[in-house]
Amino acid sequence: MTDVLKSSAVELDDFDGVVRLHWPRVFRFALASLRDRDAAETVTQDCFLKAYRGKDGFRGESSVITWLLQIAVNLIRDHARNRRLQFWKRNRTADFDFDGASNEIVNRDESPESRTLAKQQLEAIWRASENLPERQRTVFLLRFVEDLDLLEIAAATGMKEGTVKIHLHRALQTVRARMENLR
Amino acid sequence: MNQHLSSEQISKWMSGDRTPQEEQHVRACPECSAEVVRLEATLQLFRGSVRRLSEQQRGIAPQTLRQALPARSPTVWRLRWALAVAALLIAVAIPLYKGAKNEQRQREMAKADAALLEQIDAEVSRAVPAPMEPLISLVAWDSTNTRGGVEKR
Repeated sequence: MTDVLKSSAVELDDFDGVVRLHWPRVFRFALASLRDRDAAETVTQDCFLKAYRGKDGFRGESSVITWLLQIAVNLIRDHARNRRLQFWKRNRTADFDFDGASNEIVNRDESPESRTLAKQQLEAIWRASENLPERQRTVFLLRFVEDLDLLEIAAATGMKEGTVKIHLHRALQTVRARMENLR
Repeated sequence: MNQHLSSEQISKWMSGDRTPQEEQHVRACPECSAEVVRLEATLQLFRGSVRRLSEQQRGIAPQTLRQALPARSPTVWRLRWALAVAALLIAVAIPLYKGAKNEQRQREMAKADAALLEQIDAEVSRAVPAPMEPLISLVAWDSTNTRGGVEKR
């Protein structure tokens, strides 16, 4: 057993430690994917419950966070499918507001024009990523929010590395096109 | 490579798909370099905004699995028990109510049958039909008179 696999197995022995360490990250990914706080909370809870029940089956082929994100990806996909059927709940995503967060992030030392442009571009990325096809969005968020490399994304999504590249490339093209419209 | 990177090449670059020639070009070309830096900075902003938003929305992160899982409040449990008891009562009450109603209907039918039988008995035991009963007394008085009259003649 390699050192990485050993450390993953040891990490899972202290499952409370896994919750403490990885809960925020899984929640963040779920929130960015679903744009709904309650749904993200539910998916995160289900993710950790599923992981706890299946921890004996964890073979340590990836890191614990990649394994958790893999579970989360599947749960998010199921949740999104169910939501598509529950058409009356669609409007809930509309109340997701990131204005406050973007205000805090955009550099205040810049000129008002630069700040406005940065905020507009940020909004363009948010909107574009929201409308991406499911796989492209997943890959895009795992790469640019969770900072996973291509192999880790492949492990989390069950895709081949080449497929991940294609989805990421397409997602970036869409996002950039949206940003270009602002210029 | 003297030409600027195309939009597609820049997207590929950002997704980690880059050739040594493209890398060399981006290092040497201020325009392409600025484009890549600008895009990276915007994506960095996006990452930061998602993280900030997640911190705002998350609340306090759970420290244990038990804390992480949804706790069912006593109110929910009480409501569940109340619903279970109500369902049980309904399940028991419906057959009892139906049985009582059937019994009452059978009693009423028996009463109606008895009344009908009494009426039939009364009808059968009469010497003449009810409308002719007043005539019986008349016929009885007149016949003795008539018989007497005939005898007198």
